[in-house]
Amino acid sequence: MKFLALVKKEFHRFFHDPRLITTMLLPGLVIFLLYSVLGEALNTKAEARHYDVYLVGDSAVTRVIAQAATAGGDSVEWRRLGDEEEAMDAVREGKATAVIKFSENFDAAEGGKVEIFYDASNEVSAAFYSLATAALNAYGMRFTVAAQSLTSAETIGMQVLCSILPLLIVTFVFSACMSVTLESVAGEKERGTLATVLVTSVKRSHVALGKIFPLACISMLGALSSFLGTALSMPKLMGLSLNMLGAYGFWNYFLILLLILSVVPLIVSLIAVVSAYSKSVKEASAYTGMLMILSLILSLVATFVPKMGNWTVAIPVLNTVVFMQELLAGALPVWQSLVSAGVNLVLTAALVFVMTKMLSDERIMFGK
Amino acid sequence: MQEHEEIVRAENLKKTFTLSKKQQRIEQTGEKRRVAVSGLSFSAYRGEIYGLLGPNGAGKTTTLRMLSTLIRPDAGDAFLCGHSIVKEPRRVRDVIGFMTSDLKLEGFFTPDYLFDFFGAMHGVEKAALATRKKELFSRFGIDKFSEVRVKNLSTGMLQKVSLVVSIVHDPEIVIFDEPTNGLDVITAKVVTDFLEELRRMGKSIILSTHIFSLVEKLCDRVGILLNGRLAAEGSLEAVAKGDLERTFFALYEGEGGRV
Ligand SMILES: Nc1ncnc2c1ncn2[C@@H]1O[C@H](COP(=O)(O)OP(=O)(O)O)[C@@H](O)[C@H]1O
Ligand SMILES: [Mg+2]
Repeated sequence: MKFLALVKKEFHRFFHDPRLITTMLLPGLVIFLLYSVLGEALNTKAEARHYDVYLVGDSAVTRVIAQAATAGGDSVEWRRLGDEEEAMDAVREGKATAVIKFSENFDAAEGGKVEIFYDASNEVSAAFYSLATAALNAYGMRFTVAAQSLTSAETIGMQVLCSILPLLIVTFVFSACMSVTLESVAGEKERGTLATVLVTSVKRSHVALGKIFPLACISMLGALSSFLGTALSMPKLMGLSLNMLGAYGFWNYFLILLLILSVVPLIVSLIAVVSAYSKSVKEASAYTGMLMILSLILSLVATFVPKMGNWTVAIPVLNTVVFMQELLAGALPVWQSLVSAGVNLVLTAALVFVMTKMLSDERIMFGK
Repeated sequence: MQEHEEIVRAENLKKTFTLSKKQQRIEQTGEKRRVAVSGLSFSAYRGEIYGLLGPNGAGKTTTLRMLSTLIRPDAGDAFLCGHSIVKEPRRVRDVIGFMTSDLKLEGFFTPDYLFDFFGAMHGVEKAALATRKKELFSRFGIDKFSEVRVKNLSTGMLQKVSLVVSIVHDPEIVIFDEPTNGLDVITAKVVTDFLEELRRMGKSIILSTHIFSLVEKLCDRVGILLNGRLAAEGSLEAVAKGDLERTFFALYEGEGGRV
């Protein structure tokens, strides 16, 4: 009952204040717009593209694709090669744009199949892939379309993106947590509204958790907004016509989310403890600034020191960055991710306990 | 209800603070420890207003904070409605309403919301809470402002809301540190009227003040607090001996104080 009322109050405070909601969600939008515009400026199609495409089998629909390309100011040259594998290699090496393979008697029979082989890391090839699938889909559903990238996502751009994204995420998570927690804990202490709650018969542990739980949920929103903003715009920024959100399997996303979910309450409770200790928002901001630098250093270390090893599961924040990187690189470090999340959550519980003790400490709450 | 039923009993309360370096500098003192309350005992009775009268630094706030369980005495104990402040602080918090200018309400919320929130903090049942809100809001004229955010209320109305919110759980005892300190005359009147109203409702009140007229106007019993100790205690007439102010300064000088 009492705990619920505390949680509700935090949510009420947040969701009825447009200013707070905006400060929480705006970063994601700004990042998205900024990076997209930047990416657009850096990677605008300077001249018309030329596609060299190998055909295996034949069909009248090639004309539809060619028309679509011409309409966009591009040109297609259809080529043939005796050996299918050789054609694929040409695509891998960047000497050709793509290979399109039609099933036998494609135009004559119903239920034919068309396969597109392309290179996702090559901008021209990826553009052709989008164009061709769009044209084929518009043509009608008499046949099935299958597409396959001949290269994996491990291009330079992707690698940079994968290694830097966790660092960005942790930074965004931190600032999201900071903006709400400082205000709600240090602010309430400084203004004397926390003391008003402490003279009631509510348990200190409920007050501590009644702050940390809703603040973590709210910070989660901010972190998610920043995360989506980054994830959706980064590929564009790096000139990759690749959709981040479709690049990995379910378990990769699940574990990434789990890591974020575990690091948010940890950071919130860390800032909450520091805020409860401080006499003013200003003092708390100073301490939190130091924490942010520390977490940034950990993230940077994790980002730029390769192959850190499994011991990193024991270090909060570091563990999150290290294994998020591996997950984004396509690996599936299952137990490491689970243990990391566990470590973060256990530390969170410890910090909730510390905060409870602090709320009961008269020198901290009512000292001069 | 029993005549002169003892509702608060303080027994030999002691509190010593360790002074921080900063505090030592501000107060220009070399001492590391400060005895704020030293062996304070007194009793207050049901339905009465008890006043702790003393100069700045006498230990009034420290005493009231101990009674309201915000800080723990180093020694001694006090019993409010029979509950020990040392052993059952949460029980005590449910039978008292503590008011001081240090306790603030969040300006973002409305009186209506805050009343419900603090009701929940004290575990007041929903139905009882609604009835009580209606009654108190209309009695103190808050009903028209119940949906106005606290930060937009006038000082007087804000004071009323703070008072009403602190008695949301219908406490037997109200503890009030310097009730009229820093208030303009109109708001001060709101507060003293409120205290008299509470007494009419049968509540017991303990207040602290350094203002003689406030004691003379409100209190049934008074304790004169000097250097963390009671210098005199009893009914207002018995302590004042005709002139409260003169009696006070006689005691003050007797304790070695200089005007
Ligand atoms: N938290 C504290 N830390 C250190 N000294 C304190 C603290 N609270 C009060 N004091 C000291 O104890 C003495 C009594 O203070 P207080 O109870 O506030 O007196 P009053 O309310 O009667 O003015 C003062 O000398 C004050 O400086
Ligand atoms: Mg005082």
